[in-house]
Amino acid sequence: MNAENADAFKWKKLGKVFDPTKIEGLDWMKEFAQAPSVLIFDEFVRVYFSCRPAPDKNGQYVSYTGFVDLNRKNLLEVVNISRKPILQLGETGAFDEFGVYPTSVIRNGDDVLAYYGGWTRCESVPYNVAIGLAISHDEGESFVRLGKGPVLSYTIDEPMTISGPKIRRFNNQWYLWYVAGKKWAKTDGKPESVFKIRMASSIDGINWTRYGKDLIENKLEENECQASPDVFFYQNKFHMFFSYKYSLNFRNKERGYRIGYAFSDDMINWSRDDSMSGIDVSRRGWDSEMIAYPHIFELDSTVYMLYLGDQVGRYGFGLAQLQDSKIL
Amino acid sequence: MQWKKLGRIFDPTKHNLANNCLEFAQAPQALVFDEFIRIYFSTREKDKTGKYLSHISFVDIDKDFDGIINISTETVIKLGELGCYDEHGIFPLNVLRDNGKVLGYIGGWSRRVSVSVDGSIGLAISKDNGLSFEKTGDGPILTSSLNEPFLVGDPFVIKFNSTFHMWYIYGVKWITDTSTNNKKERIYKIGHAESEDGIYWVKEGRQLVSDKLNSNECQALPTVFKFKDKYHMLFCYREAIGFRDKKRASYRIGYAFSDDLVTWIRDDEGVGIDVSESGWDSEMLCYPHVFQVDNNFFLLYNGNEFGRFGFGLAVLE
Repeated sequence: MNAENADAFKWKKLGKVFDPTKIEGLDWMKEFAQAPSVLIFDEFVRVYFSCRPAPDKNGQYVSYTGFVDLNRKNLLEVVNISRKPILQLGETGAFDEFGVYPTSVIRNGDDVLAYYGGWTRCESVPYNVAIGLAISHDEGESFVRLGKGPVLSYTIDEPMTISGPKIRRFNNQWYLWYVAGKKWAKTDGKPESVFKIRMASSIDGINWTRYGKDLIENKLEENECQASPDVFFYQNKFHMFFSYKYSLNFRNKERGYRIGYAFSDDMINWSRDDSMSGIDVSRRGWDSEMIAYPHIFELDSTVYMLYLGDQVGRYGFGLAQLQDSKIL
Repeated sequence: MQWKKLGRIFDPTKHNLANNCLEFAQAPQALVFDEFIRIYFSTREKDKTGKYLSHISFVDIDKDFDGIINISTETVIKLGELGCYDEHGIFPLNVLRDNGKVLGYIGGWSRRVSVSVDGSIGLAISKDNGLSFEKTGDGPILTSSLNEPFLVGDPFVIKFNSTFHMWYIYGVKWITDTSTNNKKERIYKIGHAESEDGIYWVKEGRQLVSDKLNSNECQALPTVFKFKDKYHMLFCYREAIGFRDKKRASYRIGYAFSDDLVTWIRDDEGVGIDVSESGWDSEMLCYPHVFQVDNNFFLLYNGNEFGRFGFGLAVLE
């Protein structure tokens, strides 16, 4: 880890919060708890994540989104688990027929909105993704789609795999940070998606104007894959934690996901400085090979990060606490 | 309206075509030159999996429509890259002159797993009078949205009063045909979008032409022209099930008219063309395309088997 940066964030790892493989009796939640996203209540913190039933006979997965509620006074204590997915999969031929992953939630008056990556299966490449929108009228327990199609689909220069939405609102404007596929890298086996971080804004949360440029410069390689652009405002700056990896042969410690960092004054021009991120893989344990999908939230004057460990969250997500965050 | 049939003018099985294509000359689209008419069409190659890839070719025909001057021997426009919307076919390529260039609106197809295909509309530009087209990007200019969830295709673009109008189709659902091993069949309707620059489009967001057969009626390939202070639309329509082998369920050409490009009144009785008693267009009529040469309006269209054996021509009387 690049620990020499004196200005770096300092995160204290509090440990794993939730392990889906330990849950009994939910067929749709056998493993994976990916892309955590919080909704804060008076007594608890609801953490949405995407999980998977056992694979089908061809070894293929679908993804559902569910949640756990954490005790607000002790975030390592799970007090409730969703008994069914918050949203059914899309109908035959729809963009989200085979997966709802990842999901990012936000309150809008008495409703809760969920922006999610919807997955379909393709013949020449494994999948395609577009971003859908669903609404909840019951405090985020269940959601219904606003339409059968996506709110953010493909464009001339964002031709495929539009995914990884993170919804935010600043100054009455809606912002969506997301991931856009650039191409499919050919391999000996299945092609691998190459994707970069992008942004769109909206006045109603439904009709989006895209900024149309990659926001974060590459560090590893031209085909570096960047995901989970999680933005928050703090000390007069916008901060983004994200995850990044190599495009090929990344299912290992050396080339797998790490958490990167960038900052910005205007949400458009971002300066990448991964040495600031202040979090890296552990020496051993559940997050010793990779760390991915950071999600930052503030609770009772403390800043926290939820993140995934090895195998992109197959065994759940953990929590870290920002040190010296009293300055908030 | 009355169309006089002039007969089949091109049969792809009688010519050598680029890209290993053997049969089909579908969705003919005209680009008018001083001396000849260039007619683009979609023809088919079988790939190594045995499935079809649709490629664009063209034929140049003299203005009397009685002689073929030239057939494209090169690739007119490449299919899309791996994982792109137009990887597995272009059908149709709708062409339009604009400021010395030719705009080519792509109906792009890519294969899916649970259903056969999805579609989006892209844009390519030709700077050599339509001999070849370069895409403006790897992705589409018009695609799925909240209420038009898939199968966006069949673009037809024309400029009226300096605004670009596009008529196109969008899918509304996939249904299961229980009579054929649960094959999934698609249902699509005609929509409309407008643009100032031909690139950025705003969808109107509604079904433009009312259903005649039933709510599962499939409506395809709209073509619009202005004549005698009215706008006229031809399109084709069919049943969702049984349309490949049952004559009564297969494509026919429908008609609607409008005074203002907003309200369209369907009037299939007024279309003035139907299947022939016998011959190449006796089972179905589909993929109409209307264009003007001097003071005459002509209609290109496909006949039996969706144009496997070419396209024909009719003239407005």
